[in-house]
Amino acid sequence: MFQSRTSGKFLAAVAGGALLLTACAGNDTGADKPAASGSASASAPAAQSITYAYEQEFHSYNGNTAAENATRNNGPLQRVLTGFWFYGEKGAITPDKDFGTYEKTADDPLTVEYTISDKAVWSDGTPIDCDDALLWWAYKSGKIKGFSASGTDGVQDTKVLDCDKGGKKFSLVYDKPFADWVANGPGAAEIMPAHVVEKQAGLSEDEFIAAVKATDAKKLEKAIKFFNDGWVSEGSLPAAELIPSSGPYKMSKMDAGQSLTFVANDKWWGTPAATPTIVERFIALDEQAQALQNREVQIVEPQPGPDVLNQLKALEGVQVNLGDAYTYEHLDFNFDSSPFKDKALREAFAKCVPRQLIVDNLIKPVAPESKPLEVRNVAPFQNNSAAVVAASGGAGVYAQQDIEGAKALLEKAGKTGLEVKIGYQTPNPRRTAAVQLIIDSCNKAGFKVVDKGSEDFFGTVMPANGYDVALYAWSGSSLVSGWASTFTTPKKCDGENKGNNNGCYSSKKVDELIKKLNSTVDLAAQDPLIAEIEKNLWADLATIPLFQHPGLSAWDETVKNVIPNPAQSTITWNMDKWSLS
Amino acid sequence: MIVFIARRLVISFFVLLAATFIIFVLTALSGDPLEDLRQDNSPNKANKIADRTERMELDVPIPVRYLGWLGRIVRGELGVNRDGQDVAPLLGHALSATLQLVLAATVLAVVVGIVVGIVSALRQYSGFDYSVTFAAFVCFSLPIFWIAVMLKQYMAIEFNNWLKDPGIPPTVIGVLTLLGGLIFGALTVGDRKRRLLAFLVGAAISGALFTLLSVTRWFADPGFGLPLVLAISLAAAVGFTVLSAGLRQRGPLYAALAAALIGVVASQVLAPVLVDPTWLEIIGLALVTVAVCVGLGYGLGGFQRRQAITTSVLTGLFTGAVIFLDHMLQAFAAYSKVVRGRPISTIGARTPNFAGDFWQLNLDSAGHLLLPSMALILVSLATYTRYSRASMLEVMNQDYVRTARAKGLPERTVVVKHAFRNGLIPVTTLMAFDFAGVIGGAVVTENVFGWQGMGNLFIKGLREVDPAPVMAFFIVTGTAIVVFNMIADILYAYLDPRIRLS
Repeated sequence: MFQSRTSGKFLAAVAGGALLLTACAGNDTGADKPAASGSASASAPAAQSITYAYEQEFHSYNGNTAAENATRNNGPLQRVLTGFWFYGEKGAITPDKDFGTYEKTADDPLTVEYTISDKAVWSDGTPIDCDDALLWWAYKSGKIKGFSASGTDGVQDTKVLDCDKGGKKFSLVYDKPFADWVANGPGAAEIMPAHVVEKQAGLSEDEFIAAVKATDAKKLEKAIKFFNDGWVSEGSLPAAELIPSSGPYKMSKMDAGQSLTFVANDKWWGTPAATPTIVERFIALDEQAQALQNREVQIVEPQPGPDVLNQLKALEGVQVNLGDAYTYEHLDFNFDSSPFKDKALREAFAKCVPRQLIVDNLIKPVAPESKPLEVRNVAPFQNNSAAVVAASGGAGVYAQQDIEGAKALLEKAGKTGLEVKIGYQTPNPRRTAAVQLIIDSCNKAGFKVVDKGSEDFFGTVMPANGYDVALYAWSGSSLVSGWASTFTTPKKCDGENKGNNNGCYSSKKVDELIKKLNSTVDLAAQDPLIAEIEKNLWADLATIPLFQHPGLSAWDETVKNVIPNPAQSTITWNMDKWSLS
Repeated sequence: MIVFIARRLVISFFVLLAATFIIFVLTALSGDPLEDLRQDNSPNKANKIADRTERMELDVPIPVRYLGWLGRIVRGELGVNRDGQDVAPLLGHALSATLQLVLAATVLAVVVGIVVGIVSALRQYSGFDYSVTFAAFVCFSLPIFWIAVMLKQYMAIEFNNWLKDPGIPPTVIGVLTLLGGLIFGALTVGDRKRRLLAFLVGAAISGALFTLLSVTRWFADPGFGLPLVLAISLAAAVGFTVLSAGLRQRGPLYAALAAALIGVVASQVLAPVLVDPTWLEIIGLALVTVAVCVGLGYGLGGFQRRQAITTSVLTGLFTGAVIFLDHMLQAFAAYSKVVRGRPISTIGARTPNFAGDFWQLNLDSAGHLLLPSMALILVSLATYTRYSRASMLEVMNQDYVRTARAKGLPERTVVVKHAFRNGLIPVTTLMAFDFAGVIGGAVVTENVFGWQGMGNLFIKGLREVDPAPVMAFFIVTGTAIVVFNMIADILYAYLDPRIRLS
């Protein structure tokens, strides 16, 4: 074409220029560096810090309000704001001897005496004492209107603390026995600096103490406002004087959307932090494995899955840990408005659910050691697990799938061909797959199971009891009060009153046992009661527990003392022990 | 013109207002804002639900909530998100992250895309054209999340591993040699013999270049050094002159060469300033460069004064850029050591708590920007290449181009002055839309590379059924679209004399 001839010269010129440019690029070997100056400036040695990845951004220095009570805050905060106890190894409740000591001094009324360590000071030098404890009681007891608190369980039944200005001792006196008293005092991330609140509210320490003791919400109005909103981060940390620390680390800097930096607290009175700087980087779960591979982070906790597991296992110098999470998957019957009011049908369904197959197909690729759950309220990794399973008899007759037995029960009840709607929140591929497995085997027993997963399951379907069987997960806890409402008869079976007892399971015997358990302050006496409750729950088939959710973590082998934790405290629970070898 | 702008702004304001209502209602209706809490089984569930209901006014009808939001906007407040964080600072951070990410990528994609498109149009049906078309379609059809993961694996992780001992294996040098030859061959016009010659020259040059880079382990401690900076600048001076004024008149050439020379000399004189400058100083230097170059062009340009000024300004800025790049490269070895020998990163916008001089901080940004920018460029480059190729081809077949040739104008003038400018018109529309779109549309890139930008603000807001951040996002992106459309209209009028704004 005519352009090619005429534009040829032009192109030749361009190409000539390009040629010149590229040809020149190789002449120099980089040996002479006339302006190489200032390149070796003193940056902090990188070996002094450890970086870990977490999916969500830190939001608030106060993780005790209803909105901010989340792992994104309390995970990073647990070694910054210490307390009398924390979730230690395997999620067990562990007293923090550095912070102080506590012991039960009387059973009637239940009295627990707390002593804050004499050495305990905030990182700005103010001693940790009575007013800090009173602030904790003020928001936690629910007796002062206006405080936004994540929960008032247990503390609402206590009397106001009996300490005075500067005092390091106080006791918690309960109106009625409370089983979880060990974890009901101020724990990690729960004691907030009262002197900061006082200053922001324009109150003196005396005035503050008097106002809390008089539960005077009016006088505390400004303090309450600051407590609720003043510590919320808005793209950066609150001013340094607002966030004194009481643990091995203090927060030094937050880079919005990127990272949060901890530096060792030089006023910390316990064992000093092993590594001077820890950095949390906010990285989506899917991206964590490659970030570890490129060593931009040293510790990751990605979403467990076979692909990511293989990817991590293939990395050199990386330790991979497969563990459990506190969450467990279960099937719930609708006792209110479904055919499963009939116990025989529940038994038939429980016999045909392929619990082992679900674990084999869906969980074992990620967690090879996984087994179907024997009990609901004690996770397999908890110390009392073996005892409770043995005493309760575990899954008993439902341990093995029994399609013939299910068929016989169904025929006896004359309900062969019964339609069963399984509801769950979509999208969730794993649950869809689990429902498919249930359909395959229960239809053999004569049920007609239908997949009724919906995107609005929790919003509308569940509150209105629009399902026969629900498939979802609950997060467990080492506290017995945590699951009390789940199996207690609700006042009325509607969205507002049923609490966590979604299917409105009701048993007088279990109600009594739960009540008894929650007032049993002797920890050793709790296990037989839990076992008894589990036995009844299996006998009644209140729910069918399926499996414990798997947890996955991985870290660079040069980092020592990384111990994954199944509790909501996550892997950061002992970050002051992490060190680089 | 002013009337036009005012009228457009007034109309756009009402369009935006109506759109805010629609977006607000759609967001509020898009799901259940309490979903995550309903699955919660902690004892404080009711408490949490009550708290969020109160903060998000879920007990109030949606239109009333909208009016409340509108009232706050009028007072200049963006409201709080569902956790009580003020949206304004969130928006500020998101916007700055996105601009950092998108600005460089878009500008680069536009420049490279247009140049490649035009060259492939001028060399229609050549090997180069076919290769570009093929590459464009491949890039166009690649999903960005896949590109992102591949980039992370090979451009970051493997590249960093390789950097420990950056020798290029002989087979790779062989492939690169072949590739260099093919590029030169494809770009050359003429018979087979000439093309073969070009191929051999290209192969020899790239072979020698990569062997040298490998043997000297250049990548471990890169840099140009003074002689090379000078050579590149002078070559650029010639190149720019050829493009903008031709070599027939010597004025522009002398101006450009002088600009390059003065730039390189100045870099030596100003060495103390360049040890650890600030951005303000760099911008100042750029302004001084422009001023000096305008003077040079004016003084030396002769009767091709206008072209001379353009040429010398371009040469001056280019020389500055080369010097800048050289300084960055010189700082590389020290930077690489600080980040444990892994300078290219897969995630985030910067190394946390990184402290260093100006050049190292810039290297840190560049190391974090590299992959997301490449991902964005690869995808949008394809569009620009195709568009500019098509429009250039169309223009080159117009009657007035034939007339220009018939008049005896040199090919350079025909292409640069008559065809290029008109060929840009359709691309301008694309550019305006693309830039406005990419501000809010880089969601996947942002997410994969850990940039908390506008896209993330929007997606997170939508997922949480939380209107406040979504509306903040919409106000910014909506306004951007309106503004960029207007800019496109004004640019039309500038590029095409037949269009008048009135």
